[in-house]
Amino acid sequence: MQESAELHDLSDDSDYAASQQQQQQELRSVVRTDSGKKIVESESEGAEVVFLKDNVTIHPTQFASERISGRLRLIKQASSLFMTWIPYKERADSVGAVTEKDRNLYTIRAVPVTDIRSIRRHTPTFGWQYLIIVLSSGLAFPPLYFYNGGVREFLATLKQHVFLVRSADDVNVFLVNDFQDPLQKSLSSLELPGAVSIANSSSTPTFANSVPPNENFEGADVGTSSTSQYGGRHGLKVNDPARDLSIQVLEKFSLVTKFARLTTSNILREIQNDGFLANDRKKPSQSLPVNNHETGLDEVQSVPDTISVTPDPLEIFIVWTSIEGLSDAELCPVKQKALCRKENQGEEAATRVGTFELVDCKEFDKITLVWGQPRQPPLGSEEWATFLDAEGRVTDSKALRKRIFYGGLEQQIRNEVWKFLLGYHEYDSTGAEREYLASVKKVEYETLKYQWQSVSPAQSRRFTKFRERKGLIDKDVVRTDRSSSFYDGDDNPNVILLRDILLTYSFYNFDLGYCQGMSDLLSPILYVMKDESESFWCFVALMERLGPNFNRDQNGMHSQLFALSKLVELLDSPLHNYFRQNDCLNYFFCFRWVLIQFKREFDFEKMMRLWEVLWTHYQSEHFHLYVCVAILKKHGKKIMGEEMDFDTLLKFINELSGQIDLDATLRDAEALCICAGENGEACIPPGTPPSLPVEADLLYPLQDDTDT
Amino acid sequence: MSYAYLFKYIIIGDTGVGKSCLLLQFTDKRFQPVHDLTIGVEFGARMITIDNKPIKLQIWDTAGQESFRSITRSYYRGAAGALLVYDITRQRETFNHLASWLEDARQHANANMTIMLIGNKCDLAHRRAVSTEEGEQFAKEHGLIFMEASAKTAQNVEEAFISTAATIYKKIQDGVFDVSNESYGIKVGYGGIPGPSGGRDGSASQAGGCCS
Repeated sequence: MQESAELHDLSDDSDYAASQQQQQQELRSVVRTDSGKKIVESESEGAEVVFLKDNVTIHPTQFASERISGRLRLIKQASSLFMTWIPYKERADSVGAVTEKDRNLYTIRAVPVTDIRSIRRHTPTFGWQYLIIVLSSGLAFPPLYFYNGGVREFLATLKQHVFLVRSADDVNVFLVNDFQDPLQKSLSSLELPGAVSIANSSSTPTFANSVPPNENFEGADVGTSSTSQYGGRHGLKVNDPARDLSIQVLEKFSLVTKFARLTTSNILREIQNDGFLANDRKKPSQSLPVNNHETGLDEVQSVPDTISVTPDPLEIFIVWTSIEGLSDAELCPVKQKALCRKENQGEEAATRVGTFELVDCKEFDKITLVWGQPRQPPLGSEEWATFLDAEGRVTDSKALRKRIFYGGLEQQIRNEVWKFLLGYHEYDSTGAEREYLASVKKVEYETLKYQWQSVSPAQSRRFTKFRERKGLIDKDVVRTDRSSSFYDGDDNPNVILLRDILLTYSFYNFDLGYCQGMSDLLSPILYVMKDESESFWCFVALMERLGPNFNRDQNGMHSQLFALSKLVELLDSPLHNYFRQNDCLNYFFCFRWVLIQFKREFDFEKMMRLWEVLWTHYQSEHFHLYVCVAILKKHGKKIMGEEMDFDTLLKFINELSGQIDLDATLRDAEALCICAGENGEACIPPGTPPSLPVEADLLYPLQDDTDT
Repeated sequence: MSYAYLFKYIIIGDTGVGKSCLLLQFTDKRFQPVHDLTIGVEFGARMITIDNKPIKLQIWDTAGQESFRSITRSYYRGAAGALLVYDITRQRETFNHLASWLEDARQHANANMTIMLIGNKCDLAHRRAVSTEEGEQFAKEHGLIFMEASAKTAQNVEEAFISTAATIYKKIQDGVFDVSNESYGIKVGYGGIPGPSGGRDGSASQAGGCCS
């Protein structure tokens, strides 16, 4: 890795400088022939290409074969330096699913270098060197792979024109600054506005125009290959030794950037439709409705106006840079409104810092890109009625699930809505059908229950398995949520109901039987349903998904913990590496979280909120794993900083119980989930709970559940 | 709080034998019949004094159900002491399983781990299904320390935890452990002596003096 030579020395390399000058003269002629670009027009006003590299490539998906190659240039105009990366037109090497749309999407059109906050250099052992360029706004471009080399030259050229310093935290991170302003020549410049207004620059096209208008995030697949290719993709991974961690980082970036751009363009379009903006809108990073106190100062003023008229806050994905100490007051009004019902605003802000980061936390400690959505108030009965047609069918189950994902449910309608979420009721059933079903199911339940009730003492003596099971359940129901008033006291009838339902379930599913943890899952259901038979059937539906958690061989748990380790590897590789080095990769410290869906980690109300969010399967069927990642990631620095070993870590995680901020965690988890995209789903082997087993699809045809 | 040594303990045994209650009685000196069942593992800690030295016990209370054995096994690593608990009123289920618990412990813990066998619920003598002699016999056969105890009345609870610690302490004094190697489940604290070679009597009074 020759590249790791001190960069500071490079510009003093006279041989290099000479070759550079020569190259520049050649390049200038090349650029002149590059017709049709605004850059060229402006070149006549004094633009000069100071760096050009061909075959600089991005990988929009994880498939190395799907790539977009282009030309990277640094262009000097007047006293400003711009960077562009223009993909080639259709070329032989652009195989796979790369479309013209992708090409448009990824094109980097004249970004002022002053808008670049940092550049990270990657020099993987195998494969090409690449750079990740992060803007002051926090947006990152997809990794640029230098197929023909040139990373060193690129950085050296930059250094000739802008103030470039190596990060004190990471030798591979270079901080870029406005070289014209000596006041900013310090490491602390990260905290300062780093962008110069380029409002009158004609060389920066309106970004929103480059995205087809029919595209929006909801509908856009966050990758380009289809989601039904798990097997094939998996095979590819195994057979492709070149696919290393760096490729994963790359995938992550491509997805994130694509998402951010789509989102941004949506916002822009909305804003434009509202007539608030003229067409002189520039780069997405400057147009975000965010606390851009790091980016163009003159942009900030216009933001509150535009955002406050946007009709539906839910549709706005707010992308903002995470700045330590950021207060809610600095956030846009929509965000403020959403936050003002939060009790603990200080912590809310704190959790946004360094929680979910665009890139590995070690790499970009201070350059975190965060997005999320404000939580909504819980769905209440009036609004719930609007989801039902005259016969009581849920007309748009996806909209419903989305609504619940972002807001949860009010307690008084939980008993109705949980039945849908759990899959006990079908969304397209009518109210009358459900009423009928309840009566049929009640009879069926009684029949099942009678199976064990009719076991005589004499039979029981000869029925060890039954005795053991009953003994275990008897012991456990009195050790379940006894601090809640619903279950406390002696001879509490609700405890008896818990016992009866669990014992009946152990007959209904005799193979699985009873296992500790089940009472924890049943208790909130009974609390909500307050009806024995309905509770039983809801529990049955839940166990269709979570039953494997309780398999004797623990395979359901192991597959989830394995998927979790893969997700952490994808989303927080420093933490993953730490766990690997410290022999913590079994993730047993997350065992309780996964086994009973965080039941013991939150108070009762919060836990029910989390459950209904998980059960929507809105962003992912395995959203609970992203919740795990979010919590781990939030504490990653502490875990690594204090060098926790397995024991200490286990104790630490255990003691987080009751300390976890649910709303912040959900936001983090969602961001991570979106960030991971289909690469995240690829980490999760098919059939991992709570996915339904294949054969059960016929029994529980849950709408849209496979579309995540 | 400074300590001469920290010992990691693990409490194992069938579900419902009273592991969590023993821990609670030892750490909080109270008996709480209604507490939530243990999922995974819970932790407790208490300072004790042996030979005038402050010793911190960090106690891991594990889930007893069979299905969780594979998880429980990962907790043995680095334990200096184990309390293997059965219920004297449930001969079949809990006493008969002792051998398999012991096998797990032998297999996954370090060889020098001190194991204390506890027959819990000795307050329920009228429902006794395992005699004291049976317990003693099992302990003798397998080289364990043995005690009958009651988490409810607190009988022998203090003694069980402390005599286990005393045994571990003696092993340190005898040089059985390399206390600088934490895989034995022992950490040397600031108020302590650096190792078995540190001399017995002299350092003992020294350590005792710094913390009370």
